[in-house]
Amino acid sequence: MTSLSVLRVLDLSEGVAGAFCAKLLAGFGADVIKIERPGAGDPLRHHGPFPDDVPHGEKSALFLYLNTGKRSITLDIAKRSGALLFRRLAEGAEVVVESFRPGYLADLGLGYRSLSRIKPRLVMTSVTPFGQNGPYAGYRATNLTTSAAGGRMAVAGEPDRGPLETGGYQAEYLAGLHAFAATAVVAFSADATEVGQHIDVAAMECLATMLEPQVSSWAYEKRDIGRRVDNESGTTFLRTVQKALEAPDPAHSFFQELDHPVAGRFTYPGPPFRAGAIPWQAARAPLLGEHNEQVYCGELGLSREELTALFASGVV
Amino acid sequence: MERLPLFGHRILDLTTGWSGAYGTRLLADMGAEVIKVEALNDGDSLRASMGRSDSAGAMFNHVNRNKYGCGLDLGWPEGRGLFLRLVALSDVVVEDFGAPVAAELGLSYEAFRSARADAILVSLSTQGTGVTHDDPVAGVAAAAAVGLALWHRRRTGEGQKVEVAQWETMVSLMGEYVLGHSMNGRPPEPIGNRHSFMAPHGSYRCAGDDQRVAIAVKDDQQFAALCRVMGRPELAAEPRFADVVSRYHNQDELDGIVEEWTRQHSPEAVTESLQAVGVAAAPVLNAPALFDDPHLRARGFWESVSHPEAGTWDLDGVPWRLSRSPAHIRLPAPRFGEHNEYVLRGLLGLSEGDVRELVEAGIVGRPST
Repeated sequence: MTSLSVLRVLDLSEGVAGAFCAKLLAGFGADVIKIERPGAGDPLRHHGPFPDDVPHGEKSALFLYLNTGKRSITLDIAKRSGALLFRRLAEGAEVVVESFRPGYLADLGLGYRSLSRIKPRLVMTSVTPFGQNGPYAGYRATNLTTSAAGGRMAVAGEPDRGPLETGGYQAEYLAGLHAFAATAVVAFSADATEVGQHIDVAAMECLATMLEPQVSSWAYEKRDIGRRVDNESGTTFLRTVQKALEAPDPAHSFFQELDHPVAGRFTYPGPPFRAGAIPWQAARAPLLGEHNEQVYCGELGLSREELTALFASGVV
Repeated sequence: MERLPLFGHRILDLTTGWSGAYGTRLLADMGAEVIKVEALNDGDSLRASMGRSDSAGAMFNHVNRNKYGCGLDLGWPEGRGLFLRLVALSDVVVEDFGAPVAAELGLSYEAFRSARADAILVSLSTQGTGVTHDDPVAGVAAAAAVGLALWHRRRTGEGQKVEVAQWETMVSLMGEYVLGHSMNGRPPEPIGNRHSFMAPHGSYRCAGDDQRVAIAVKDDQQFAALCRVMGRPELAAEPRFADVVSRYHNQDELDGIVEEWTRQHSPEAVTESLQAVGVAAAPVLNAPALFDDPHLRARGFWESVSHPEAGTWDLDGVPWRLSRSPAHIRLPAPRFGEHNEYVLRGLLGLSEGDVRELVEAGIVGRPST
């Protein structure tokens, strides 16, 4: 329990960025409910690595890491019954994090405008590759193409070779970290003013903003510094990972072991910062739909029969 | 329009590096009154790093927009005393000078708490385990920490100290590698632009000088679409490329075929034709291209800012958009000591004579004229 325990967050996101934003809120104590599609659940459950390289929906390292401290329910918001249930959940929430194609939630009647009518202080954080409007808003993207569009790829790698992706899901993580900062600031403000906002985070813009040396040189002197020999981001990324793995400092207790009933016991990185009065809550990722009964029956007040009917019709 | 989220909150910014300055810039963009307190002798290291004196440095002007500036030397007891009086009037202090310097100056969290019982201190450390990284990522974490700490103070009345270690923030952005290593004992290997299951996946040369496009193909359907767009629909059925696994094994060959096609077109043309059929593609943009990019222009990402010494130029705006209180660049970066009057006389209530004495004693730095 921390002072953030009263902050209920609905995590509808399916990519790294939104999941990371919601994971950090959970880590500092927010009550985060991850909403997964019935059946397969979050697509990230299918991304490796897996223990012994054997794929399993409850054992994805990426999913396990990005969903620590959350509860999981299944809900098909594309079905009318599912959308209605989501609206009921939103009434009791302070924050919604989502990463769908712009306009998708509005088409389901679950956009910021309609949700803010039922809950004016709701904060909705949309974190997508290109943002909610503009010519690229509907573009498909992966971490690679977002890194390219955001200018990060062009400055990584050695000057005499081609542009380089910086490893892992850095573009998405960085967008998620910005989304977390924006959500923290805006949720604080909404707590005081009782008025929420829609936050539009575009990964492309987060990356472009972080290119300050290149961007300021061009803006100011029309000088393109391009790739920097002394800072190959790709290599730096690998060095950082290797260093982290080889020489974890036990006295500093940054790394933490977490047990998971299906996947097993593994080492996880700790918090991105240490807040003296908001202790980091280390807790494992949820199983798919693990908290259906707790949330739908215990908190929304559905009967077992109603839950069974929703289950049979594929809504839950 | 609503007021900005951090309107009415004062933040004292003692940072001198990129991370810290970027973090307080995000808070300034959100409406906080950020006062950059700079020492007299060298000012901010970013002012110096651009090889020009005073406020002419491009980088400095980029990361310090929307902030106020006060020249106050904390090396002197009088300077520290004035600073602690400012702490009493402020919500947050952000610093990156490190514990030894803080101890030497007597500017510990305890000192701040004696000035203001619910003080919030965010300390950044960009060193740590020997991996230094020219990246402002810890600043984003610091901005988030301020939001959470303000929430906590509003709910409980308590301040707190937050420690941001750049190395820890960075490792938190690569958690699956840590877990993967813990699962299978293998360190990550350099794979360049390759992906564990997507192929083709990389940057490809286009027509024109040093023009490239990034393409990522996820599944069979997308690969068939790519082949159609390239005018080679038969490739999708060939055994060497027919499924995810064969494409993964034969990606060198595949990359050659894709590049043969991309070299005939501009990155924008390749992007548009692939996006039209649902394949992820984007031009590889460098800094100059970002300024001309139609998407960023349409979203109003670039904002024009005028600085009394540095002139007028385009600056990246706020990296997230708020529906009710859209944030913009309100102020250019401060010149050294530009807001001494406001801070020393307006906030602390010093007289004109007091300030003159402080300037003569070398404790307060005057704006150069």
